Amino acid sequence: MRKKIITIISILFLILFAINTQKSTEGYVGYVGSEICKGCHEGIYNSFIKSIHGKKPLPDSPINKEGCECCHGPGTGHVEKGGGKGVAIFAFDRKIDTKEKSSKCLTCHEESKVLAFWDISKHRSEKVSCDNCHSVHVGIDRNLLKEIEPYLCYTCHRDIRSQANRQAHHPIREGKIKCSQCHNPMGSFGKKMVRADSINELCYICHSEKRGPFMWEHPPVSEDCLNCHVPHGSNHTKLLAKKPPPLCQSCHDVRGHPGDIYTRFETFRGASTVNRMVARACLNCHTNIHGSNGPSVRGSHFLR
Amino acid sequence: MTFYCAFAEEYHIKIDSEVTGKLLNIEGNEAKFNEYRDIRDGLYGSVHLNYDSDFFFDFKASDIGYDTQHYRLDSGKWGSFKYFLQYDEIPHNITYGARSFYSGIGTGDLVGIPNTNINTWSTFDYSIKRKNYTGGVKLDFLKPFYVDISISREEKSGLKPTAAEGGIGFGNMVELPELIDYSTNSLKLEVGYAKNPLFGSLSLFYSVFDNDNEILNFNNPFIPGNPRDLLTLPPDNKYYKVAFKSTVKLPMNSKFNINLGYARTKSDATLLNSYYGDGVLKSVSLSDLVFSGKIDTQNYDFILTSNPVLFLDTKVFYKYYKRKNKSDTITTTDGTETFINPLFGHNKKRYGLELTFRLPARLCLIAAYNHVMEKRDREDVPKNDDNIYSVDLKWNGLDFMNLKVGYEKLHRKAEFHAPDVAQDNPEFIETFVQRFDVASKDRDTYKASIDIYPIENLTFGIGYKNKKTDYKDVTLGLREARGDEININVDYTIGEFMKLAAYWDYEMIQYYQFQRRLPFNATTGFDPATPPAPSTFNWDLKQKDRSFDYGIGADIPIISKKLTLRLQHDYVKSDGTADYTYYLGINPLPAGRTQDNIDISNWDDYRLRAYMVKAIYYVTKKISLSAGYVYEKYTYSDALLDAYQYILGNPPNTYLTGAYKDQEYKANIIFLAVAYRF
Repeated sequence: MRKKIITIISILFLILFAINTQKSTEGYVGYVGSEICKGCHEGIYNSFIKSIHGKKPLPDSPINKEGCECCHGPGTGHVEKGGGKGVAIFAFDRKIDTKEKSSKCLTCHEESKVLAFWDISKHRSEKVSCDNCHSVHVGIDRNLLKEIEPYLCYTCHRDIRSQANRQAHHPIREGKIKCSQCHNPMGSFGKKMVRADSINELCYICHSEKRGPFMWEHPPVSEDCLNCHVPHGSNHTKLLAKKPPPLCQSCHDVRGHPGDIYTRFETFRGASTVNRMVARACLNCHTNIHGSNGPSVRGSHFLR
Repeated sequence: MTFYCAFAEEYHIKIDSEVTGKLLNIEGNEAKFNEYRDIRDGLYGSVHLNYDSDFFFDFKASDIGYDTQHYRLDSGKWGSFKYFLQYDEIPHNITYGARSFYSGIGTGDLVGIPNTNINTWSTFDYSIKRKNYTGGVKLDFLKPFYVDISISREEKSGLKPTAAEGGIGFGNMVELPELIDYSTNSLKLEVGYAKNPLFGSLSLFYSVFDNDNEILNFNNPFIPGNPRDLLTLPPDNKYYKVAFKSTVKLPMNSKFNINLGYARTKSDATLLNSYYGDGVLKSVSLSDLVFSGKIDTQNYDFILTSNPVLFLDTKVFYKYYKRKNKSDTITTTDGTETFINPLFGHNKKRYGLELTFRLPARLCLIAAYNHVMEKRDREDVPKNDDNIYSVDLKWNGLDFMNLKVGYEKLHRKAEFHAPDVAQDNPEFIETFVQRFDVASKDRDTYKASIDIYPIENLTFGIGYKNKKTDYKDVTLGLREARGDEININVDYTIGEFMKLAAYWDYEMIQYYQFQRRLPFNATTGFDPATPPAPSTFNWDLKQKDRSFDYGIGADIPIISKKLTLRLQHDYVKSDGTADYTYYLGINPLPAGRTQDNIDISNWDDYRLRAYMVKAIYYVTKKISLSAGYVYEKYTYSDALLDAYQYILGNPPNTYLTGAYKDQEYKANIIFLAVAYRF
């Protein structure tokens, strides 16, 4: 039985291998030069020539190599067949495998620190190709992006758009923080492609006062800022995942006030208002929640 | 929208400039309206200068003279070197017109005796501004070697709300305006080599944080005589990190990627040897008057990616991260009690495998497994083991459609250590508390999305995600979390007639937590299974956060290439609830309460409506005029802030300043802009 299964798997493996290797045998011959391309694609050519790919002073730019055919491959066949989208030419359209499209760009761009780690990126494994975000001919900036951040990223990351719209948010929609300041879309070793080895290391770049080290540490804070915060936006002030007191009570339930039930009755409008259930709730007193150098019990409880 | 002056074929000069006049009428909370913006009556200027030849020079300036101003210069010689200089400001306005009985606001010394007439209190604004100065050079002429150097300075100043508890008994607090006067200077140096088959880089990041006010002095309003009291603030720190990254190409389309990092953070703080407790100044004895903090982190990543056959991509990875706390252990003797600061550290090992199969019919299957082991210096849960399995299937078999479905399962085992104490010991309750950040859990995530391009100028995308987390071993604390979200977007260009874009998002998050109430002096009843008594009982809370937003925009060319009309509407809404239940058994609810009237229907509820209409008229190729109108309305209601009072109790036990109070606003903006390009 086991032999049969191994045989079937092996046959399937070979069939798939054969199917997938078939494409790679296709090839192109003969270059025609960019001037010929311009004859039919003048608008695109004019954009290309003004883009970074058309920079003559840049030694490795396509204009100093095969021009249009540097990315699209030799055009003789395309010309001979009278043109047409994807006819005997490499077109960056949806039908083409993402890996194949990206490999065209990587031919030149792989030898740079920006794309050195493309192979480990989540974008690559999620079948995102360079042309999903960049235009080959003309973009909105020198990086040939098709759209400005964050709107470019929102095309796929729709849930992040929703979060960034919320009342407590990093200034993403105001354009003061770009997605690419925290994430490296070209590949990073960090979780969620962040530009750091840990979440806290990333947050501390801008929030350097939270680095401490403090005498009294709050372990979930030191371990991962995202235990309490959501990074893009939240309904709750300070980008908290939940509102205090319930956020704090999720972990702290001992006799006395931490486990007490604070309801509408304890709010400003309630009949028995208490300061644990108004304004900043627990943080009204436990103000140094990220760490403290305060004395004795005042420090250990993040009160001073 | 750029006009090039081709003085010669070899170079281009481009100059864009725009001046916008704005008129603002605002009712309500201007700080919330301008939380990260600076919109007011006045003229706004922006400039873009570009020179491009063998050398390039690109300078952009926007919001000149305002709190959001931004300047950036990129220059250099193509293929040889580049440098940049940047200045950027980011405001964070929290609350305008806050109040406090203290004087000296904006310094580290708050002086004042409390009074209950808030009209006599000083008013001030909670607002923080960041100023970033950055510059850097990149040398390319050494190719395949490169050198990257950048330096930055960030100055952060302003006021933010902080607070102090009263130091006399329990339940007193005073909100304080904390002076922010931080600066962070950083240097980043990176040298590297990039030529196939090898990439390698060595980098150093060094950052110094300086806080000009490490102590906030204030008169304690609750202790007789209102003595001077102290609140500690973040200490200065120094941080450096050395990292080595490399990737090397191997046979079978493989790459071996390495990331090694070592970092150290240090701080020094002079400790306080007294504090106010029970209304009197208590002296403490410290093993050292200076605390030296030192945290070392190490990180190692090894990833092997491979493409052995055309239809299979593999990724095998291992990560080790360690945070070692080498700070001083300080022994504090406070009367008969002794406190020793625990040194928290942790380490994490993560390894796994990801397989991507490119199947026939343009199907792609991604299967992955991750194992995470985490050990931490924590008594309750010193160890976690996570097993994460995921499978994603993508299909783009039709030229006009992409389909994705995915599932992820996380199974976390926690090594929970209950305190070894008798049932009448107050710590016995910890036997039933497992904290959500480390507790055992099962998490299931389902997701699906479809993107359709039925015609060339129409794209439609919809995504759904369901995430459910079951904290299965938790008795007290967070037991369940569930999130459901749907996101849609549409883009449609109708020839030259109109361009339409729209989005719609909905998310509902639900939490369930189970808790136990015990009086402060309780000596029994620490087990939640104990029958309830009037002041000792269990309770639970179901929270719901519903978020909803949509937007629709249109660009309509009224006169082709001459006059365009732009319309935009955005709407964001949140509706949160908190549903509490007392489990009192036969005992009556406390006076005045019913199971229904304790619930909260306004739990950070808000609604933002924004409308914009803008007309752009291209007078000539060089000159364009725009005029428009924006209306924004923001409403907000939250149980913790509604019917705000500055003072609570009689005699007062709480003095607040109005931070985050009354966030609603309504704004009308008229703008007129002239853009000139040559």
